[in-house]
Amino acid sequence: MIESGIRLENVGVRLGDTDVLRDVCVELNARTIAVIGENGSGKSTFARLVGGLLPRTTGQLRVLGLDPARRAAELRRRIAVVFSNPDAQIIMPTVAEDIAFSLRSDKLRPAELQARVETAMERFGLTHLAQRASHDLSGGQKQLLALCGAFIRNPELVIADEPTAYLDARNARIVANHLLDGTDHRLVLVTHDLTLAARCDQAVLFADGGLAAIGKPAEVIERYEAVLRC
Amino acid sequence: MLTLYKPGTGWLHRMPAGPKLLLILAVVLAVSLLPARWTSVPVAACVAFLGYLVAGLGPGMMPLHELGRQLYALRWIIGITLVSQVIFIGFEPAVANTTRVIAAIVLAALLALSTRVTALLDAIERGLRPFERLGLDSQRVALLLTVTISTIPVLGRRAAEVRDAQRARGARNNPRTFIIPFLIVALKHADELGDALTARGVR
Ligand SMILES: Nc1ncnc2c1ncn2[C@@H]1O[C@H](COP(=O)(O)OP(=O)(O)OP(=O)(O)O)[C@@H](O)[C@H]1O
Ligand SMILES: [Mg+2]
Repeated sequence: MIESGIRLENVGVRLGDTDVLRDVCVELNARTIAVIGENGSGKSTFARLVGGLLPRTTGQLRVLGLDPARRAAELRRRIAVVFSNPDAQIIMPTVAEDIAFSLRSDKLRPAELQARVETAMERFGLTHLAQRASHDLSGGQKQLLALCGAFIRNPELVIADEPTAYLDARNARIVANHLLDGTDHRLVLVTHDLTLAARCDQAVLFADGGLAAIGKPAEVIERYEAVLRC
Repeated sequence: MLTLYKPGTGWLHRMPAGPKLLLILAVVLAVSLLPARWTSVPVAACVAFLGYLVAGLGPGMMPLHELGRQLYALRWIIGITLVSQVIFIGFEPAVANTTRVIAAIVLAALLALSTRVTALLDAIERGLRPFERLGLDSQRVALLLTVTISTIPVLGRRAAEVRDAQRARGARNNPRTFIIPFLIVALKHADELGDALTARGVR
């Protein structure tokens, strides 16, 4: 169980001359983990750290039992990261091509590649947009595209930073269901949507660059709301 | 520019991307190397015209319609090259130069019209593979090209956003107050794109 989770020991991250994360010690083994906290509390930094996009400055870190500093290439294959700004995640000019881009390094046969892309598009309701210019999609459609590009690689761990920020209620629900209901991937979900956080198995609360609470989502959310009230 | 690709079933569409790239490159080069004389004008114009007619882009007038659309999109470039050259080097070379440049551009557009970026990338990657022995990383070059191409429309959109944000706050269009925020936004995008490539499994 421990082998597949996330473990931080006294981890600190320094960006420029500010300590963005300070002395974080935590072990996360639930399948779905919500990360909540005020603006600027360090949630995105935590997500980038766990996703292997940012090196730690101090401490020890294990993701899926591996050290991101040493096993970056392997982790990249097993982890997918989804950001809140969908514009930056789109690389190819059409929807179908952009999804296929995620499998580029796998060197699949064209027929197999196309079949996988089509299945993925269907799953995310993108089939009717397949030939559209990806950069002309709406914000919500772009986010669905980004998710589709992440999920087509069958990641073991998905790290999503406010993935529903641009979506309308219906698409937000679709995306949330994709993220939360699958059983073959783990999830770290950074979100300001507390009803979404409540659907996770475990929650962590960040405050001012440090860990303020960890536990059952209902309890952690309650703590957070108490902080917000004062 | 990027959304230029139009699905089709003509012979140019079906031709493999590699040979097509070479063929069009050869025609474009030939047109650009025409001498700056009056005689080059009908030659360049005819080659471009014929290129669109025989490419099998679509039924009926559709190819000529497409050519017209391309020329319309290029109207400013046509005007600027023509006028500046008439002033500096005279009428005959100006008209001849402009015709061959425009002919070369619209002929090159035939490639984009009939080829998907993915197919083009694969072709470039394959074509560069022999050079790997010389230390060239063909996958990286192909990726670099894609990312460069994909960045153009995004930066265009970001530029519009910066302008809108300034207008919304009462600033008038001013290149000096535009350039710094735009550069910051562009660098930020480069940063995010790097993250996205890493996150999507690119080395
Ligand atoms: N590259 C950077 N250099 C310096 N400081 C940074 C950098 N990136 C983030 N910070 C700072 O680190 C702190 C935490 O940022 P982070 O983006 O992790 O917050 P967040 O919890 O995701 O906030 P939000 O809810 O607004 O997304 C902020 O105070 C931010 O200003
Ligand atoms: Mg954030």
